[in-house]
Amino acid sequence: MNAFDLTEDQQDCLQELINVAMGQASDQLARYLDTFVYLKVPKIEQVKSEQLLVTLNQDLKATAVVSQGFFGYEGIRGEALLMYQPQDSNRLADLLGYEADELTFDEQIIDLSSILTTTFLNVFASQIDNQMSYSAPRLLSPNLGAVTQHLQQQAFNWDLALKVRISYQVTDYSFNCDMVLLIPEQAIINIKTVIDRILEEF
Amino acid sequence: MSTNVLICDDSNLARKQVFRSLPESLSTDVQLAKNGQEALDILRDKKIDILFLDLTMPVIDGLGVLQALKDDNIELAVFVISADVQPEMQSRVMDLGAKAFLRKPVQLDILNENLKTHGFL
Repeated sequence: MNAFDLTEDQQDCLQELINVAMGQASDQLARYLDTFVYLKVPKIEQVKSEQLLVTLNQDLKATAVVSQGFFGYEGIRGEALLMYQPQDSNRLADLLGYEADELTFDEQIIDLSSILTTTFLNVFASQIDNQMSYSAPRLLSPNLGAVTQHLQQQAFNWDLALKVRISYQVTDYSFNCDMVLLIPEQAIINIKTVIDRILEEF
Repeated sequence: MSTNVLICDDSNLARKQVFRSLPESLSTDVQLAKNGQEALDILRDKKIDILFLDLTMPVIDGLGVLQALKDDNIELAVFVISADVQPEMQSRVMDLGAKAFLRKPVQLDILNENLKTHGFL
C-alpha cells in the first residue's frame, strides 16, 4: 500500500462526499432542464497515467468533451471532464430550451458543463471546509489525441490519478452525460488527510 | 418495549451518521443494511418500526424498497435520507409512503424534529 491508496473507510467516505455533491448537481441540472435526472452510484477508481488513457479511450465515444480545471486550498486540485454521448448532440438545443440561432452547440454545451462542474465541486468543497476556483471551461475535440494533449499541458503530475465517474441520465430525453474527475496523486494525498479528519469524528 | 430501527445505506459513514444522530430512546435496537435487498430480507423477517432509507444504492435502490413495502403491505415509518434532493424525487418517495424526506448529510436536529413530528419522541 502506498500513500496514494485509499483504505476501505477512506474510499467509503470519499464516495459519500461525492454522492452528496452529485445529488445537488443533479438537482441543479434537473431545474435547468426542467426534467428528472436519474442517478447511479458513482464509480471511483485509481488509475495510472497509462491506464488512464486506455480507460478514457473507452469512455471517449463522446460527441463533445468539455474540460475545466479546479483549484482549492490545501493543494486540492484536478481536472473535470464532461463527456456527452453522440445521440445527445441533436437534442441539446431542445433540452436547454434554446432557439436555433440563440447559441451555438459549443456554447450550449459549455454552459451546461460549467453548471454541472461548479455545482458538484462547490458542494464537494463545502463538505471538506474548502473552496474552489475554476479555470474557464474548454471544449475539446472528442478524440483521445486532443484529450491526451490537453492533460499533458496541465501543470501537475498525472502519474497516478483518481478517476471518479458520475453518470447523469436525463430519462425524458435519453440524454447521458458522464463527469470524470481527474485528481492528481498529491491532491489525493491532501484529500486523504481531510477524509481522515472526518473519519476521526466517527 | 423498545422501538426497532433499521438503517439502510450503502455507505458505512452514512449509516454511522444516522446512528449517532439517533436519540438514546431509539438506539437500543438498531439493525443495519448495506442495500435494499438486505433491508427487505430483514423487514420480511422481523417487525421493524422505523426505517431510515437511502435512495441511490446498489442491488435494490430506495425506490425499489418503498415499492416492495407497498406491494407486501409491510407497515412501518420510513424516513428517506438521500443526497438526491430533486423535488420530483421527494414527491416520488412521499407518494410511495415515506413519512419524510431528509437531505444528506443528515443533521441531528432535523432528524429529531422529524421523529418528534411523527410521534417517536
